[in-house]
Amino acid sequence: MTVAFAVPDVLVARAQAGDEAALEALFRAFETPVYNLVRRMLRRPEDAEDVLQETFLEVVRNIKQYRGEGHLWGWIRRIASTKALMRIRRDQVRETESLDDEPGKPGMHIGANLDLERAFEHLSDTSRAVVWLHDVEGYTHEEIAEQMGKSVSFSKSQLARAHARLRRMLDEGAHA
Amino acid sequence: MMHCTMEDLGALRAGEASVWARRHITTCAQCQAELEALYQRVAQLKALPALRPPRDRWPAIHAALRVERSRRRRTWGTWTGSLALAATITAVLLVQPGQQGTLYAELSQAKQQSATLEDSLQQYDIDGRVLSGHAAAVVAELEDRISILDGTLAQQQQSVQDAELVKLWQERVGLMRELVNARATRARYVGL
Repeated sequence: MTVAFAVPDVLVARAQAGDEAALEALFRAFETPVYNLVRRMLRRPEDAEDVLQETFLEVVRNIKQYRGEGHLWGWIRRIASTKALMRIRRDQVRETESLDDEPGKPGMHIGANLDLERAFEHLSDTSRAVVWLHDVEGYTHEEIAEQMGKSVSFSKSQLARAHARLRRMLDEGAHA
Repeated sequence: MMHCTMEDLGALRAGEASVWARRHITTCAQCQAELEALYQRVAQLKALPALRPPRDRWPAIHAALRVERSRRRRTWGTWTGSLALAATITAVLLVQPGQQGTLYAELSQAKQQSATLEDSLQQYDIDGRVLSGHAAAVVAELEDRISILDGTLAQQQQSVQDAELVKLWQERVGLMRELVNARATRARYVGL
């Protein structure tokens, strides 16, 4: 999903002055792109809702620090993706990536009508985050590595493994 | 025959592929198809419909914003209130040291209780914690009432009678106690 709209400067200025109606207008403008971003990165919808709320609390607290350099969406997106990645790191123990990446394990055969969206849901949180940030949001591997606290090669290898797995799942679905 | 790995295909897409991969892709139909499939997958991911939040989160954000704003006002009110109170007590002690002993003791006790409750509040009061809309509204209302009371204390301490001052401080203790209970209940609920 590409967010191409701009927010009027006057609205940002009013929000920076603490105008609650302007802050709500900003929330309404960006709630769906933020939720979509973090929901694609996180496995559980309730986690995505929490990150949506945390993101806008931070936006509201720090809107005065936004200097108008770059698109407002870029600033908000950075806050949202950082918070989503923090949640992924926090929940790392729950990740089942090692199981997910092995073909033939229970849960791998997910039906003939598997489409890309469902296959994407079957990736681990880390893999989904890397794929979404790189392929959809246009982040570079350097940016992803910095945000995740990992190396560039980690980001590249996660992306390659995720695509290999997507391809495998889609093939299995098509031939089941 | 050796074919491109997914890393090679990704590198080809990014324009960072090795010389071997760039040469190979020009002659291998299988790898060309894999690269095309990769482009297709990325295009399909970009075209996925936007997922919308199932519930409106603005009321909870708005309530949390109100809590933070009233907290800032309250902190300022507490400082100014404390300074004014100190001035009043000093004046009372200088003018009528004998008759004001009981009221002074009650005032000191209320002030001490209020400070103790402020300390207790700190352990539940962690910035950024997400409250439900209802919990945040309850907390916001209590903090607003304390803020208003602090404003009254700050503005009127020089003029109110000592007994009224004690009553105001005791009222503040009562509200603080409710606020600590609200925070403590929430902390128990989320297992903190």
